[in-house]
Amino acid sequence: MVTNAEHLDEHHKSGIMRWITTTNHKDIGTLYLFFSLIMFFIGGIMALIIRAELFEPGLQMVIPGFFNQMTTMHALIMIFGAVMPAFVGLANWQIPLMIGAPDMALPRLNNWSFWILPFAFTMMLSTLFFESGGPAAGWTLYPPLSLQGGNSMPFIIFSIHLLGLSSILGAINIIATILNMRASGMNLMKMPMFVWTWLITAFLLIAAMPVLAGAVTMLLTDRFFGTSFFTASGGGDPILFQHIFWFFGHPEVYILILPAFGIISTIIPTFARKKLFGYDSMVYATASIALLSFIVWAHHMFTVGMPLAGEIFFMFATMLIAVPTGVKVFNWVATMWKGSMTFETPMLFAIAFIILFTIGGFSGLMLAIVPADFQYHDTYFVVAHFHYVLVPGAIFGIIAGVYYWLPKWTGRMYDESLGKIHFWLTTIFVNVTFFPMHFVGLAGMPRRIPDYALQFADFNAIASIGAFGFGIAQLIFVYIIYKTIKNKKEINVDAKVWDGAEGLEWTLPSPPPYHSFEEEPKVE
Amino acid sequence: MNKNIKKTFSYLAFFTIFMFGFSYVLVPLYDVFCEVTGLNGKTGRINVESVIENPSYRYVEVKFTSNVANSAPFEFGPNQKEIVVQPGKIYTVFYTLTNISNRDLVATANPSVVPGKYAEYFKKIECFCFKHQEIKANETKELAIQFIVDNDIPSDASSLVLAYTMFNITNQQLGYNTE
Repeated sequence: MVTNAEHLDEHHKSGIMRWITTTNHKDIGTLYLFFSLIMFFIGGIMALIIRAELFEPGLQMVIPGFFNQMTTMHALIMIFGAVMPAFVGLANWQIPLMIGAPDMALPRLNNWSFWILPFAFTMMLSTLFFESGGPAAGWTLYPPLSLQGGNSMPFIIFSIHLLGLSSILGAINIIATILNMRASGMNLMKMPMFVWTWLITAFLLIAAMPVLAGAVTMLLTDRFFGTSFFTASGGGDPILFQHIFWFFGHPEVYILILPAFGIISTIIPTFARKKLFGYDSMVYATASIALLSFIVWAHHMFTVGMPLAGEIFFMFATMLIAVPTGVKVFNWVATMWKGSMTFETPMLFAIAFIILFTIGGFSGLMLAIVPADFQYHDTYFVVAHFHYVLVPGAIFGIIAGVYYWLPKWTGRMYDESLGKIHFWLTTIFVNVTFFPMHFVGLAGMPRRIPDYALQFADFNAIASIGAFGFGIAQLIFVYIIYKTIKNKKEINVDAKVWDGAEGLEWTLPSPPPYHSFEEEPKVE
Repeated sequence: MNKNIKKTFSYLAFFTIFMFGFSYVLVPLYDVFCEVTGLNGKTGRINVESVIENPSYRYVEVKFTSNVANSAPFEFGPNQKEIVVQPGKIYTVFYTLTNISNRDLVATANPSVVPGKYAEYFKKIECFCFKHQEIKANETKELAIQFIVDNDIPSDASSLVLAYTMFNITNQQLGYNTE
């Protein structure tokens, strides 16, 4: 086995230029992952500002205008800066290793898709230092409010354009890699689930992101070039924006969760030491979730005044998504059934994912019921719902994936006991933070409001304590990663890190050489 | 670059551009959809030549209301709160617009009919809506609307509300007229 250090030196530049000019999928994956970790903390600080303000009723910490900027930016940063790049990072690292390809199909494009991101977010974050402040109309940018905002608006729109460009290019690259560069013998129905979910996610990205680009471009021309797509005074219709936005927005929420499904489908069989139950049905379930995601968008806007037929259609179409999602959940449970399970950190996160994501799924089902949604709409119940599917959903999926593959990437095992502490603190605090939000939401506390009525005080105080606990627990995660990475010399794991793991990536040494699968592996 | 990869790339790039275009296609699609279903209270329109008066012997209440968008310096309201009309007969009513600022302004109004499902039966023959109204400082204007309620209006419709929202568009003169 060629040692890692020697291999590194032969092939590429050192220092900062290595990272700027790299076209290696592993380097780019690492860049994406670190970038998303930084964004996760920036977005997290914004969340803590929100929770600090909401710790007690009344206005203490920030003025309402800044509070609104925080809710808007928190969402934009977490969605486009933390979750999406983290998934792309995992895809960059894992997809070539899993399908036996030497690199991504379009390595230079890959470099470019990453390096667009820092510029996009610099532009986005810089708006917070404007005299008129950052965007404050919510991440959904609904007109007319978003058209009335300060000077931040064109900057936000251009950064969304850049982010869209970055993720579309990333998606094209992933599809081109998966469709053209699989090792011979690996037909589509033999691909690992993570590769499948990413293939479907990439198609969702290509179908949805251009629509968002179109919607924000219309906002831009309405504001600066006298068009009237959404300005009522010129005959436009603000509701039209909501339709276009959610036509993008609902596929987007599956973009944020499908790769996590893939990660969980990889981890559960490893630690249950059984094959994934119902592989084919998993593939079809993922594909049907993706297709259904394009015909349910109006459930985000039940209260705008739709005809009864429309509300009923979108209600039932939405509920239909519970069927393939249920298939996935039951398949994971069936995979664990009678398995010889062990509970290493990635497995703990995966099991917590299944339980907590299902809670988020159920509150989603409640929100799908039109008459009930009129009560829940724009309350903290919605906030509780989407945080349950995004934090213990998407984020737990990412964290589980990082723990699972970190030993493969670095050649060193992470600190298992610290990992378990991180898991328990995270899981407890995530529930302390978001579970009470169900109650205040059902009782009628509106979202995106810096102040609230006295009867919501206790639950909000609990949620705020949970949020700070959650935030601090993530510092342990950073420390674990640092500790695993820092000692470059020592290699203490085998090629097959986990004894139940299966797949091509485990045939490579840990850490894998800088250029892997230069000779095509054989798949039986 | 491998030929197959190039091919995949071009297909996907084309699909991306197609979807961007599709977001713009959604705009006319939405208008057509609203027109067909009568959503959003988009009112019908009819030319004065094609109106045939044929009053039916039933009565529908038409109520008038008004809004001023974004605290624009206007006083704006209907001259009468409601009238009882016979479907198939032409009526003319007036709204009054006053500019309460010391600047000359340009205003425009948007109509909307509630309930939306009856909006298509409310047909305007002459209307000030969507037209640019130049109004001098402290001037008061009467704005006319001539309409007919269609004979085909379903029998369960007993009352309609016509609302106008008045916008100050002095600073956005680029806006185009959709009607």
